[in-house]
Amino acid sequence: MAEQKRGKFPGGFRFNIEDRVLLLSVVLIILVIFFGAIEDRFLTGSSIRSMAFQCPEIGLMGLGMAIAMMIDGINLSINDTANLSALIAGLSIVKLAPFFAGHEFLSIVVVFLVAIATGAACGALNGLLAGYIGAPPILATLATLTLYRGISVVITGGKTLTGFPKELSIIGHQVVMGIPIPFVIFLIVGILMYFVLEYTTFGFKVRMSGTNPTAAKFSGIDNRSIAMKVYILSGILGAIAGIIVMSRTNSVAYEYGTRTYILLTLLISVLGGTSPGFGNVVGVILATFILQVLSTGFHMLLLGVRGSSFFKDFSWGVLFIAILIIDHFMRREKSI
Amino acid sequence: MKKLLNSHEFVVFLILMIISIVIGFRNPLFFSASTLFDIVRGSIVYCIMGLGVLMVLISGNVDISFVAIAAMTSYSTHMLLLGLGYSGGIGLYLVVSIVFGLLAGLLMAFIVNQFDLPIFYVSLGYQTLWYGFNLFFIGRAMNFNLPEGLVGYYSRFLIKVKDPVAGETGLHVSVVYLLIIAIFVWWLLKYTTFGRGLYAMGGNREVAIRAGFNVKRITYLMLALSGALAAVAGVIQGAYSRSFNPVLFMGQDLDVIAAVVIGGAAITGGRGSVVGTILGVLLIQVLNRGLIFLGVSAEWQKMVVGLVLIIFISIPAIAEQRQGRLKYFPMGKEK
Repeated sequence: MAEQKRGKFPGGFRFNIEDRVLLLSVVLIILVIFFGAIEDRFLTGSSIRSMAFQCPEIGLMGLGMAIAMMIDGINLSINDTANLSALIAGLSIVKLAPFFAGHEFLSIVVVFLVAIATGAACGALNGLLAGYIGAPPILATLATLTLYRGISVVITGGKTLTGFPKELSIIGHQVVMGIPIPFVIFLIVGILMYFVLEYTTFGFKVRMSGTNPTAAKFSGIDNRSIAMKVYILSGILGAIAGIIVMSRTNSVAYEYGTRTYILLTLLISVLGGTSPGFGNVVGVILATFILQVLSTGFHMLLLGVRGSSFFKDFSWGVLFIAILIIDHFMRREKSI
Repeated sequence: MKKLLNSHEFVVFLILMIISIVIGFRNPLFFSASTLFDIVRGSIVYCIMGLGVLMVLISGNVDISFVAIAAMTSYSTHMLLLGLGYSGGIGLYLVVSIVFGLLAGLLMAFIVNQFDLPIFYVSLGYQTLWYGFNLFFIGRAMNFNLPEGLVGYYSRFLIKVKDPVAGETGLHVSVVYLLIIAIFVWWLLKYTTFGRGLYAMGGNREVAIRAGFNVKRITYLMLALSGALAAVAGVIQGAYSRSFNPVLFMGQDLDVIAAVVIGGAAITGGRGSVVGTILGVLLIQVLNRGLIFLGVSAEWQKMVVGLVLIIFISIPAIAEQRQGRLKYFPMGKEK
């Protein structure tokens, strides 16, 4: 959407701040100061830690959505990919529990491997439909959303899966040097994604394919294989989010987040400045923080007011549209 | 005649017939008036919303906020009229909620036009905004207090039939609203400058502007109408289910869009019809209900629907690729 300072080529290490990132940083700082000033509990360690525990799962899914949107696609099945991956990983760990007796930490590795493999498989089906068969992504991923949710229902019989080994909950509940582990995972994945999208040939091809698929095709880029790789990556990001949810709630349900998370990931992705050919991991991460700060901030402010937890939805909508409008004026000033 | 046979609507109609016959062959109970009326009744609200979605899709845009507008308008209208002690029928409900729907659509069109933003992006914010508005400012719980005039509405039938299983059922009166709306939208699309402008916009926005279509005015009218149709659907759904829900249709936005696209509307704009939309919604409904008649257990249904959807989406895509028409355009649009 926003025309940004571009001209990145693989190889050169440049750091440039984009307008959208700047705008989001300013908004985030203003919001933190605002809530910090009128609410004593907002800037305390425990409240910041609880925010850091909550935002990674939705942030990771937002990244998965953003990378799909960069090639002019969309991944509506990301939340159900997360649920299905966590479900299959959870089932395998429960079934294999006797096998790992005494080596419970090994079981965490298995969880990661199984979940990521499932996520990649889910992504590959999306890539096949949207990339190779050429179905409109919005329909293809909607169909796979239904399929993945259906598989989850069949596997669990509609019940919630629990009873994982204690070691698994470490990921969702422990801190490393004061930083919650989910947040550490989120940051590591974010840095990796930033590197992949900004400094590798693959990242460059993704942008090319998103900006102008015809031109990309004639310059020798295989759009289909790019789409396939992007959807697989998107599925893997969903799977990691699924592991975090599983370990934070100690359970997997086929219906976790199914009503609101797709909208939320779209919000994060678009708010972060993603559009075909353009997009920035930093923007997406900042957008995640902004939504989390609004949610926690208004929850604290309006505590005791009837329906207080729903004000966040309203504020998300208003802020989202406001940022789109500010962005419009920033773009216009630049073009004059 | 040849044109009719080649049309997308005819293909959808054929698939619908084949599925119905297969289901009916396995379970003759499927071929009954009560099943037919049940499917029609289940389709009406989605058809009404779908016709609003159709206009937006034809213009080359995607809007997912209509579900929230349906929830906001119907729930606000209900709470407002309940507070005023209204005890009449559905008439005033429709009028008030259509006014709300028109206003919500106009406000959205204002944002879209004034700041030159894509409708899809604005609708993301608009959806969460109106659901949040409903839940925070109006109320959180489903409301079951209906005014007297609405109490018996869910069982007001045009034609009544006796069914050995379902008891007394029939063709619901609200099918009349659908007919009026469908003819109105069909007329708009075929015989008005507005309708031709929608197709022109969806075909190529720049060319439509050069050709003299007032794209901004078309956007205002399109979103206002889509909001009003969503409002009608919200009120009818409330009257059916005998309760008004602040999160009505939440999470069903994409299902409606999918039904409209299955009915032949192009997600990239410029193509789509009223008949196709209605057939698309019916197809999804028949599929959902048909699985019950085939004895597919509830757990397996979602998965089967997903598989069928994948097949439905893949076949035309593969066919187009064979003809060499579709190169690789992820969202289907050539830049």
